[in-house]
This record gives sequence, structure tokens and C-alpha cells, in this order.
Amino acid sequence: MKSFPQSALKALQKPALDCASLLVPTSLRSDWRREWRAELWHVRQACNLTGEVSWQVERSITYFCLGAFPDALCLRWHSWKGFTPPEPLRGSPVKCILSLVATLACFYVISILTPSVRTARRLAWNHAYAGVVLIRNAEVTSHAATISSRQFQGWAAGKSKYFDGFAFYRIAQRPVQLWSSQRKNCKIAYATSNLFSLLGVPLRFASQTASSDENLRDAVLSDRVWRKDFDADPNIVGKVLHIHGRGFRIAGVAPRGSWRLPERIDVWLLEPDSAVRAGSSGYVLAHLSSAGAVEMWAPRVFIKAYGPHDSELDLLGVSLDQKAPPPLSVFLLGVLLAFFALPATASVSMSEYGLISHKLTWPTRLRRWGFLGAKAALVLIIAYFASFDLACAYATLFSPLSVYLHLSSCFLICLAGLSWACRDQRQRCPVCLRRVTHPAQVGLASQTFLGWSGTELICAGGHTLLHIPALPTSWFSVQRWLVLDGSWDFLFAR
Amino acid sequence: MACDAKLSHTAAMILQAIDAGFVYGFSIMEMTGLPSGTVYPAMRRLERDELISSRWERQSIADAEQRPPRKYYKLTAAGNKTLESSRRRYPLLERLIPSGEEKPV
Repeated sequence: MKSFPQSALKALQKPALDCASLLVPTSLRSDWRREWRAELWHVRQACNLTGEVSWQVERSITYFCLGAFPDALCLRWHSWKGFTPPEPLRGSPVKCILSLVATLACFYVISILTPSVRTARRLAWNHAYAGVVLIRNAEVTSHAATISSRQFQGWAAGKSKYFDGFAFYRIAQRPVQLWSSQRKNCKIAYATSNLFSLLGVPLRFASQTASSDENLRDAVLSDRVWRKDFDADPNIVGKVLHIHGRGFRIAGVAPRGSWRLPERIDVWLLEPDSAVRAGSSGYVLAHLSSAGAVEMWAPRVFIKAYGPHDSELDLLGVSLDQKAPPPLSVFLLGVLLAFFALPATASVSMSEYGLISHKLTWPTRLRRWGFLGAKAALVLIIAYFASFDLACAYATLFSPLSVYLHLSSCFLICLAGLSWACRDQRQRCPVCLRRVTHPAQVGLASQTFLGWSGTELICAGGHTLLHIPALPTSWFSVQRWLVLDGSWDFLFAR
Repeated sequence: MACDAKLSHTAAMILQAIDAGFVYGFSIMEMTGLPSGTVYPAMRRLERDELISSRWERQSIADAEQRPPRKYYKLTAAGNKTLESSRRRYPLLERLIPSGEEKPV
């Protein structure tokens, strides 16, 4: 009785040959299909002499059928006048580079398609929270709202040497129920309209078109509310939300993990500076000017401000971009650590190349170093994307855990990748950059001190022979390349 | 194609296999150990260079044996001469595929 995989293989064999025949030029197609089908019958007979149906038999026949595809491609290439078929990719530098590019493309696509990664990347590119300071009363140790709206309006209207922009938000005293929401208690914040632009947080689905109704003000939803109460509707922007009897036009959705300020908020209602309610207390955010950035040398600074009637206020400015280093800095640190650790995991010695009996030409040497550089560069770019994807997938954005995860994964990927690049380079022919093949054990280990013992590998293109000693000795400590001269050509006829 | 033209080892093996009596694709693959993706294009090139020729088996013969007809290959005169020069070039060829081996057809 046949298992499902066997039946599936058998069912696919003839269609595979038919598919392969489609690649053959039309004039030759019927002849080839006929020959392949006839051969398939005979292959089946030959492989199945005992009459027993087995997995091995079906696999052999399937391999035969798959061989039709290279046949068909070869015929197609020959049908194109002036076209030279590409050399076989096995072990070639092109295949190596293509594999790395494919890996890089995979991680890039993952980062494009994963919302959390995409958000993190956008926030990093926008330098979110860079130069933003949360200002609060220095005498209050908690995160309570301590700045009055009047103070904010005074600062926003005046000129400051150290700050070039102010934003304000306050939490509504009572939670509300949204018109279509199942959630009973949505936390609302009233904020100045420049809040998100000052923070550098790009809103999702944000449109530049203003509302046609001037009475409508803008509202921004949190990612949680948008997903749970609005079913992640991508056409949410422009819809009207009614809160406390007033209509608010939804202007966008704050990306997940982008809010790093006191209080968890579900909906931000944006209003102009002049409309901030008098007498309320809230949080003030200020953006540092270039002079302010120089003065803000510590994560926290004390600020002396003057209130109404020249009263002095002791304030504390807390920098918001000091908690999480930028992803690029984390990546560069990981790369640096990997380069330091590399000699401990892989030999980076290039001394064996000095022992080549024939001097390599400069273009050949440059090509070789360029290939190593290209591999290393691709490995580093892969590490950049992969580590960032990993950090965003398993930890909250900008949290210490995500930074540690980013750094450690970046370090490990860089280290493994660079070690591989070095090992791979040592196994590639210096002339054609193909991997050397056909390893052969030569000599006996017991004769190490009397004669040569080790492994020999040869370049399939017939350029070089690689000797790797089984036991490094003082006279033969590292691998050596032997450039093959014309007397070896008869072995590599084409 | 010139008879003394240098053939690749793969092409020489295929010529030697055909000369030894392995006259259709699968038997050549079995004898030489080359995969199908190599043997068939190589045979087409040899055919194009007029070193081998092919013919389809008569349908009546295949019908009598209840199997599909298959395509047989044989060396041309030029192919025989090229094989001779290839044997000088690759002395192990005849030891790899002896000409006196029992012919499957």
C-alpha cells in the first residue's frame, strides 16, 4: 500500500515533465515530451524490478523528472542566438552573493510587513522624542500633572532661548464611553494640536486634508482602541467621534508603543493653544533649541522659571530620549563588539596567501578582497534588519529589554556571519572565487613529522589546489594554496 | 565538427557509453552516473555536432511489447573518430565503460 507522499510524488511526475516541456522551444517541444515520457516509463520499470513500491523508488523517479528542467532550460538558452548560458552556480561567488541578498530581502520584507517593526523603524527614522523634555514641578516627586494651563500659555506665547516649541496635554477627569465602543472607560486626554509633531511621532493613516467642517476638531486614537473598538479599520480617518456631545474628526492612529509619557491614554482630543481650558493642570513638553541641547547635558536638569507676578518656579526637565539609545547606535555597538570577538571564533589570518607560489595579479586580489567586503557588508545589513525585527517582535518598543535584545542579537548575528564569511573565504579559490571541492585525505597522521598529512581540495575550474594540514606543525602551520600551471589542464577539459 | 576536436570528459563518457551499447538516455545515465539534467542536453549537443544520430523506435515494436517507443542513439562515423581521439586523451575512459560490456539492447 502506498503512503500519501508516494502517491503525491507519482501524481506529480508526469505533470512535472509536461511543465518542463513548456520551457522547451515550441518546435522541439513535442519531440522532447515524447522522449521524456517514454523514458519515464522505462525508468519506472528499471527502478521497480521487484514490483514493490517504495519511497526510494518514487524518489529516484522524481529526481529523473526534475532533471528535465535543466534539460529544458539548456535547450531554451541554446535557442537564443548569442546567449551564453550562465555557468553552474554551485559553489560560485554569484550563488553566495545571491543567497545573502535573498536572506536580506526576506528580513527586509518581514520588517516591512510586521506592523510593530514598521512602527519602530518609522519612529527611529523620525527621531521620535529626540530633544523633547517633559517639564514638571521639581517639588513633586510623583508623575502627577503639576503645570497649570496658564503657565503653559505664558511659555508658549513668550520667547525662550532654550526651547523652540511647547505642547501641553491634560487628562480628562472622567473617563467616557465612545459612541460605538464596548469599552466602558476610555481615558481621554486634551492636548494641543502640535503634540505629536513636537514628539516626532508619525500618525498612522494621517491625511493632510483638513476637515470641511470647521467646528470639528481632530482626535487621535490609540492603537489599542483602534484595533479593539474599531476593528482595525484602515479607513478610520475622517470618521466623526462624539464625546461629551461634541464631534471630533479622527485624524489618525498613534502607533503601538509610541506613547512614552505619563498616563495611558486611549484618545487624544487636539485643540489649539488658545482653547486650552483655564485653571486645569497637565503636562508640558518642550522641544530643545540648539542652545538648549547644549545645556541639557544630563538626563535631568533643574529649570528656574518665572510665573505670574514674577514668582519663581522650580521646575525639573526630564529628557525623554535618554532612555533608549537610537537603533543605529545599538547596531554599531553590536558590530564593534562582534569585530572584537571575531578573532576568538574564526581565523582571520591571511598568511597562507603569502605562500602562493605564483603571484596573483592586482585585479584578482582586488576582486577577492571586494568579494570578502561584499559578504561582510551584506552580513552586517542582514544583522541590522534581523536584530531589529527580533527586538521589536519580542519586546515593547524602546524598553530596556528591547535594547538588550537588539544588542545581543545584533552581536551574535554579526559574529556568526563574519566568522562564516572568513571561513568561507579561506575555502575559495583565490583566482575564480569558487569553493574548492573534492576533499582527499593525503598521508597518515602518524607520518606528520616525516611527510605531508592532511586534506587536499581542488578548484573545479582547475586554478588551485588547497593543502590543509591535519596537524599544524612549525613548518606547515596554516593552509597553503598551490596555483596549478598549464600541465594540469588535461584534467579540466571543457 | 573536426574529428580531433577536444571533447569534455562528460561528452566523451556519453560517446563511450553509446559505443558500449547503452543506446538510450536512461541507460547512459545509469552507466555514466550523470544526472538527467546533464545527459540529455549533452546528447543533443553531440547530435547537433553530428557525432551521434538518433531515431525513434517503430511504434509497432513498442506496441508488441506493450510499452512506449523510445529514442535510440548511435555513433556516426565522425563520432567514432572523435571517440578514438578522446580515448587517447582520456585513457581511463575504456576502463570506466568497457566496450565489451554486455549490451542491454
